Amino acid sequence: MANEFSVLGKSHIRKDAIEKVKGEAKYISDIKLPGMLYAKFLRSPYAHARILSIDTSKAEALLGVKCVLTYKNVPKVHPLRKFEFLLDETVHYPGQEVAALAAISPEIAEEALDLIDVEYEVLPSIFDPDEAIKPGATLARPEYGSPLYRGTELVQIPRLEKDGWLRLEVGDIEKGFSEADEIIEANFDWSPIQYNCSPQPRGVICEWMGEKLICYADTQLPLFVWQDLSNCLGIPQSNIRVIASYSVGGYGGKMPEKTAILTAILAKRTGRPVKAVFSRAEDFIGTHHRISYKNFHKVGVKKDGTLVAGYHRIIGHWGNDTCVQFICQATGLLGCTMLYEWQNSKAETCGVLTNIIGYGPMNGFGDPEVIYSLERIMDMVAEKIGMDPVSFRIKNCMKYGDRAMEYEQVLYGPIRWGIVGDDLNSFPELIKKCAELAQWKEKWKGWRVPVSVNGSKRRGIGIALGMHHTSFWPSSAIVKMNQDGTANVLSMAIEMGQGYATAISQVVAETLGLRYEDVNPVLSDTWATPPSRGNVASSGTSSPINSARLAAEDVRRRLFELAAPRLNTTPDNLEARDRHIWVKGSDRKISIASLCLANWQITGWANNPPYESIKDERTGKVIHAYAAAVTIAEVEVDTETGALELIRITSGHDCGRAINPIIVENQIDLGVVMANGWVRTEKYVIDEKTGVILNPNLIDYKLITFLDMPRSEDFQRFFLERPCAWGPFGAKGMSETAMTAAGPAIANAIYNAIGVRIFDGFLSPDKILSAVERMAKV
Amino acid sequence: MEKIVLKVNGINYEVSVSSTQTLADVLREELGLTGTKIMCNEGECGACTVLLDGKPILSCMTLAIEAEGKDILTIEGLADPLTGRLHPIQEAFVELSGMQCGVCTPGMILTAKAFLEQNPNPTEDDVREALSGNLCRCGNYRRIVECVLEASKKMEEE
Repeated sequence: MANEFSVLGKSHIRKDAIEKVKGEAKYISDIKLPGMLYAKFLRSPYAHARILSIDTSKAEALLGVKCVLTYKNVPKVHPLRKFEFLLDETVHYPGQEVAALAAISPEIAEEALDLIDVEYEVLPSIFDPDEAIKPGATLARPEYGSPLYRGTELVQIPRLEKDGWLRLEVGDIEKGFSEADEIIEANFDWSPIQYNCSPQPRGVICEWMGEKLICYADTQLPLFVWQDLSNCLGIPQSNIRVIASYSVGGYGGKMPEKTAILTAILAKRTGRPVKAVFSRAEDFIGTHHRISYKNFHKVGVKKDGTLVAGYHRIIGHWGNDTCVQFICQATGLLGCTMLYEWQNSKAETCGVLTNIIGYGPMNGFGDPEVIYSLERIMDMVAEKIGMDPVSFRIKNCMKYGDRAMEYEQVLYGPIRWGIVGDDLNSFPELIKKCAELAQWKEKWKGWRVPVSVNGSKRRGIGIALGMHHTSFWPSSAIVKMNQDGTANVLSMAIEMGQGYATAISQVVAETLGLRYEDVNPVLSDTWATPPSRGNVASSGTSSPINSARLAAEDVRRRLFELAAPRLNTTPDNLEARDRHIWVKGSDRKISIASLCLANWQITGWANNPPYESIKDERTGKVIHAYAAAVTIAEVEVDTETGALELIRITSGHDCGRAINPIIVENQIDLGVVMANGWVRTEKYVIDEKTGVILNPNLIDYKLITFLDMPRSEDFQRFFLERPCAWGPFGAKGMSETAMTAAGPAIANAIYNAIGVRIFDGFLSPDKILSAVERMAKV
Repeated sequence: MEKIVLKVNGINYEVSVSSTQTLADVLREELGLTGTKIMCNEGECGACTVLLDGKPILSCMTLAIEAEGKDILTIEGLADPLTGRLHPIQEAFVELSGMQCGVCTPGMILTAKAFLEQNPNPTEDDVREALSGNLCRCGNYRRIVECVLEASKKMEEE
């Protein structure tokens, strides 16, 4: 398939590869400006407290300290529309900022924090979401008056009902359940909280030039940072230059929240550039993490495996607040409504407020947390009717024509179902191929029959499906031609490791008939690059790269207009390839460089069309872009120790079109490895009495290592290419789907090994051992 | 503060350091060699690895004064200084996309260099074991193993 293209479908060397292997890539922590000061933040030790007094005089008197901020001397604004003020008189979680200061060195800044005297009145707090939701429980935010989030003046969610629940219904579930041959239901305990753990903790540098603010931000959402700085500081966006050209893997979570605003104020008041880079511990406690869900599923099924009704209740543990109010859960509602085609379904969700750290976006964003339990109950359903889990999924997985929607419709309405495109017909094929590679037929010996038993070691195999949206959003791009016939593409999106800079260059080069090396991107400088939402929701390929393709087509049109008279033909008779414009079917050509040298203003731009305009030719319905994944895991459980080893994992994907195959594989690996950490090793330990995170370091919070993953021959990944109606050349975002399928595949494999289902989220040895104890009783 | 001489990538630098300053801090803040990355700052992740007399050490856990009189190699000194040619390990990482966000990359490459000098014909298991102290949050482990094995072939051919 790749042969029809000259640049696309080839694993070109990453645009950022050479600087990264030479140590020349400059991240925020590597940048030093002349006269730069260093910011540090004083954080609350209490989960809920009112500041009775705060005395900064000793800190201010320390030589080298230039400015101290508290709630008394900063604007009363709500960064990212959250509950809390920039600095607040009342704190609602341990780690919330109480003061910010800037000094000439990080050491002096640190010393000054100890000189700030704060007297707190400690208030009642609550950390357990199961307790918080009970009537009469302590409220995390008494002034808000509800344990469930119901919106604020700043955050209006039209479809959120008055009781604090967001709902999505299809058909009539009562009728559906009445027609079922079997009804299976189960509660799944809280899915694990996970720390994004960017390799570089969050950082920002702010510098003023007169009334103009320059902000170097390590973020995947420069647009949000830009708008938030403007809103909170009360200055126009045209005066704010956010540069986010070298960000570090954020896995969803890279937004500076209030840090950029506080740093900008410190810089303004001191007249010097100020840099704020979190320590690893601060990054653990002072930002946000993956949401935790507690899910109940009830499924009605016919004996032949037809799904007649599904009910899904998703309780989200918000902690103190979030910056993505209900967006995660709207995604989750769609996940459980769409992954399987239900005749009747109802999904509902709410958000419980407590006094722990808040949640934010993280890889998979609302889908892994729901699919983790959904795929376990689907296994229970298949077992109940005695169907092989692979066949059950082939029969019921989403396919072309099944209902689909954007998460924004779930939040804001109107509810108008479109469909998934014919690219999703790849799903059954994906499952079959995955089963073949994983040797499913040889290994699956039936329900609760392990693959093998060797003393205390039992092997099991399990499968799970996954999905995620690949958002098609408003987005714009500019392609400008240079005098030598090379091009730069301007895009307000970022390279954080996912390969954006490479992929956008390949798409533009392919469109213009240039070589890959002729195109370089200019990324995320709000003074130069046209707006797009940034790199979240697997939107990079479908949205900003698609607008770059359209901008390149605009340039190509201009090149054809300029070339046509010189080649004695009309523009529609021309094509671009090999750095030339050719008369189709002839050897007459003119070089793109010569056209550019003679014409100094060849620039193209484009906006994406609205998603509603992309319709299925056969049905006339709006097409929504989703990506699918399937994972088969083989595990070994030691029934004496509870140790879990991942023996083999196979991860299959549908990516529309692989712009750069090696990068696609790397992104699959990322999701598979991160999902392993999520369910197997990465445990946030939160003190039950204080809400304080007890392991904010990489010694006690265990990331997956080389040795936790199987060898190459047992770690297989693959993708199918079925062009999607949305993205450039049929490509679509696929980076988050791996995360959604791997966790439940491991859980289902454990079940196959020991014959006991674990309803906990974290699959630690102690949980496995307690399940093993139940083995004898089964 | 005391003055010491550090030999980094073949060049002697006279620097004033405090007795508690780490080598990572001096390399990054005093010498501007920011290719040495700090990820955990407590000796757990391997991102800050540099070579001291050819041996990989964690520069965030090493005092600068301990490194006096030793040959320090950082990622900036790995390519051929005369021709600019990348080291074969760097080449393999470039050709096979051994990195994603790139923060763990310098530490990975230097750990691999010290390892391949000890064990020029490693198996996959050897590589996994040797690099197991280096964390990659982007989960690029499988690809990194492929890069190191490819580099070992390149180095043998040369």
